[in-house]
Amino acid sequence: MKGRVVLALAVAALLVLPLLLSPYRLLLMLPFMAYGVILLGLNLLFGYTGLVSFGHALFVGIGAYTGAFLTHAGIRSLEVIVLAAAVLGAVAAALVGLLCVRYVKIYFGMLTLAFGMVFYTFLLKFYRLTGGDEGMQVLRPLLLGLNLDAMPKTTYLVGPYYYYCLGVLVVAAAVMWRIVHSPFGLCLRTIRDNPVKAEALGVSVTRYRWYAFVISGVFAAVGGALLGPPTGNVDPTLAYWTHSGSLVFMALLGGFASFFGPVLGAFVFIFLQDAVMSVVPYWRLVFGAILAIIVIFAPGGLMGFFARPRPS
Amino acid sequence: MTANVVNILMSGIFHAAILFLVSAGLQLVFGVQKIFNLACGSFYALGAYVGVSAVAAFTTAGGPPFLFIVPLALAGILVGSVGLVVERGLLRFVYDRDETFQLLLTFALVLMMEDAIRLTWGTAPQSTSGLYLLYGQARVLGAVIPVYNLIVIAASVLIAAGLGFMLTRTAFGRIIRAAADNREMAEALGVDMRGVYARVFTLGTALGTLGGALVIPATAAMSEMGIELIVEAFAVVVIGGLGSMRGALVGALVVGVLRSVAISVYPEIEMLLIYLIVIAVLLLRPRGLFGGAAA
Amino acid sequence: MTREAILEARDVRKLYGDFVALDGVSLAVGAGEFVSIIGPNGAGKSTLINVLTGVLRPTAGTVRFKERDAAGIGPVALTRLGLARSFQLVQIFPDLTVLETLLAPVISRLGRGTSLFRSLAGDREVQDGALEVAELFGLADKRHVPARQLPQGDKKLLDVASAFALRPEIILLDEPTSGVSTAEKSAIMEILVTASRRMGLKAIIQVEHDMDIVFGYSDRIVALHQGRVLADATPAAIRADARVVDMVIGRTHHLPSPPKGEAGRER
Repeated sequence: MKGRVVLALAVAALLVLPLLLSPYRLLLMLPFMAYGVILLGLNLLFGYTGLVSFGHALFVGIGAYTGAFLTHAGIRSLEVIVLAAAVLGAVAAALVGLLCVRYVKIYFGMLTLAFGMVFYTFLLKFYRLTGGDEGMQVLRPLLLGLNLDAMPKTTYLVGPYYYYCLGVLVVAAAVMWRIVHSPFGLCLRTIRDNPVKAEALGVSVTRYRWYAFVISGVFAAVGGALLGPPTGNVDPTLAYWTHSGSLVFMALLGGFASFFGPVLGAFVFIFLQDAVMSVVPYWRLVFGAILAIIVIFAPGGLMGFFARPRPS
Repeated sequence: MTANVVNILMSGIFHAAILFLVSAGLQLVFGVQKIFNLACGSFYALGAYVGVSAVAAFTTAGGPPFLFIVPLALAGILVGSVGLVVERGLLRFVYDRDETFQLLLTFALVLMMEDAIRLTWGTAPQSTSGLYLLYGQARVLGAVIPVYNLIVIAASVLIAAGLGFMLTRTAFGRIIRAAADNREMAEALGVDMRGVYARVFTLGTALGTLGGALVIPATAAMSEMGIELIVEAFAVVVIGGLGSMRGALVGALVVGVLRSVAISVYPEIEMLLIYLIVIAVLLLRPRGLFGGAAA
Repeated sequence: MTREAILEARDVRKLYGDFVALDGVSLAVGAGEFVSIIGPNGAGKSTLINVLTGVLRPTAGTVRFKERDAAGIGPVALTRLGLARSFQLVQIFPDLTVLETLLAPVISRLGRGTSLFRSLAGDREVQDGALEVAELFGLADKRHVPARQLPQGDKKLLDVASAFALRPEIILLDEPTSGVSTAEKSAIMEILVTASRRMGLKAIIQVEHDMDIVFGYSDRIVALHQGRVLADATPAAIRADARVVDMVIGRTHHLPSPPKGEAGRER
């Protein structure tokens, strides 16, 4: 019950935030919500299935560039963009996953890293198509069919776009909650805990890992699609391996053994990064230290302090 | 025509020489401690920046520019001692943890060192401009190769031979190989693993920092050089086989030469080709060319 | 007691390079049988188990489960056909509770593994199925305890119980009483026999070292030695077989005398 109260309060707070926070802070909420969606998917793979991907930014990049390509092609409906990103993310994850899920631990990490970098190199080098290291512009999308071009950029972002992202985040969380608490979710956890035993109990380890990989790819692409519009630009660094590392960092920071931990991790990461950057540009130094401290002393992350370290 | 080919080849071998140093360090650490040190690229970068500073200090203090390679190499080796600090101060806390956490700790190092370098040296590229061609150029089969490159290649070969000798003929080398093969047994036989780990990691780091220092005259020290190199080193150890020194040598040659070829023939694909080879290796022969069953 | 063989291995050979782990092993298990496989370490018992449970593909020979080719088809396919196993070194899911551990095989049996949006907690059929097995194995009052916190004996029971939860036709138990105290051993065996009767198991195969257990429960004993079947007979015949006695325990001991009611166990 306590969990539900906290959750309700959190959602209520998110709803009224635009009335309370400064536009600057509100603008930070946008990448937070996008990363929230991404991390919900990543943790299905990491916390629930036990696979650490060092190339997940690949799917974030796919989602982000989908938005760029579509808005350039004149398709500016965010629903279409999100849907297209989901489909492309699913296809890419299905293909990449097919090759990767037969491997575990360090080989899985290496394979996913390699695939991520393949995509990064493609985005960087084929500049005639992708804009190279400068990336591509993302034009302001239509929300639910409404053309809000007349609105000043900030008003658009901290108003309608904010609530749109919040809606996507809430839907994503609801969907992931169902998945995690389904028979499928339990099967994933058996794979995480003991793949040999899981197999002996009739769980097709490789096939289920693949399903988890595809689902997480979809979430990452959807989140990636939401990342583009606020800055109006997407670039290849979205697919770089250090970005994948940061995603895992966020999951660890918030606590990968809990459902909302990774979302919390995304929140802390983004706001802390902003706080540090306003003082010194060396946020990586601070964050590296934080990651080291978490790994050594608090592998359960922030949620490890608040709740028992068990999923759901 | 031959001159072109020789140029590409020699450029690739030079890059391979540097890559070998860094990868050898990576392999040593992985072989013994079973940790994939993402920060090896960062140590490479550190060696590069320290090298630049060392040479600058040397020439400012009146040292003869012709001897610049001495402070360069020395600085590269000495700054490797930071590996000892990292191992004793950070890494040893996670030896008994899941390899995911070990990997993430090295990632934490990558982050910290990236900014630590920026903090110390700023974001503008640093170089030892002008000193590169001090040793002149040589004609090799019609191509013009900087002598400096040849010196580095020779040094790398010597170091490779030295490492080979150490691993096969010295007591320390035997201990390293025993620890890599079967840690519990080595410990049961009385080997002080703590000491071995500390020394292996320091040696691995020093190889990386030396590599970074030696590459400096040919290029410039830039802030992304660490995170860019790790993916190349990663390709080397996958192709060569995790934990294998021979693998580091062969893998470095493959990656170095292929990259050189790709850059001159079809620049777009440069690293793309390498990554595709990595993926192919991981899918078809995960243990690489020389990797053991333990990999 | 002749029956149609449910699980049958014929002339199974398994080579690892030059090393012959199994050298023409034939074994048939039919309904109503409790078969024990005995033999010293290195006799090939583990290899045989892995071949029978579809983990290893034999180098030669056939494995058939109810007339279907079962050689190397993998554990998942075999559970679908009706064969389950437990492990010698106890295998649990450390972070899952007892109940969750039993939910998984029930989900697998009912084919609900890919139900992404169904609520597990609300699935009465799955929940009841798991609870039933928990009660049969005396683990019901511990059902919310994480598996890693269980005492060793309970972990063993859980490992076996989860295999039972698949409602297999044949269960293969790899040293079901190893690592537990003598007092607990008979308790485990009694639970096993009761559970198999209640859940309609057709046959039990076990690998065991404890001769009291072997002679106390088996209809048939298969003695394995250096990759070959040395003997495959009733306990009485085995006891009289000098070769087996030699191989298993040396000449200075005797195999246990029959406890009451050994022959003709009902199942």
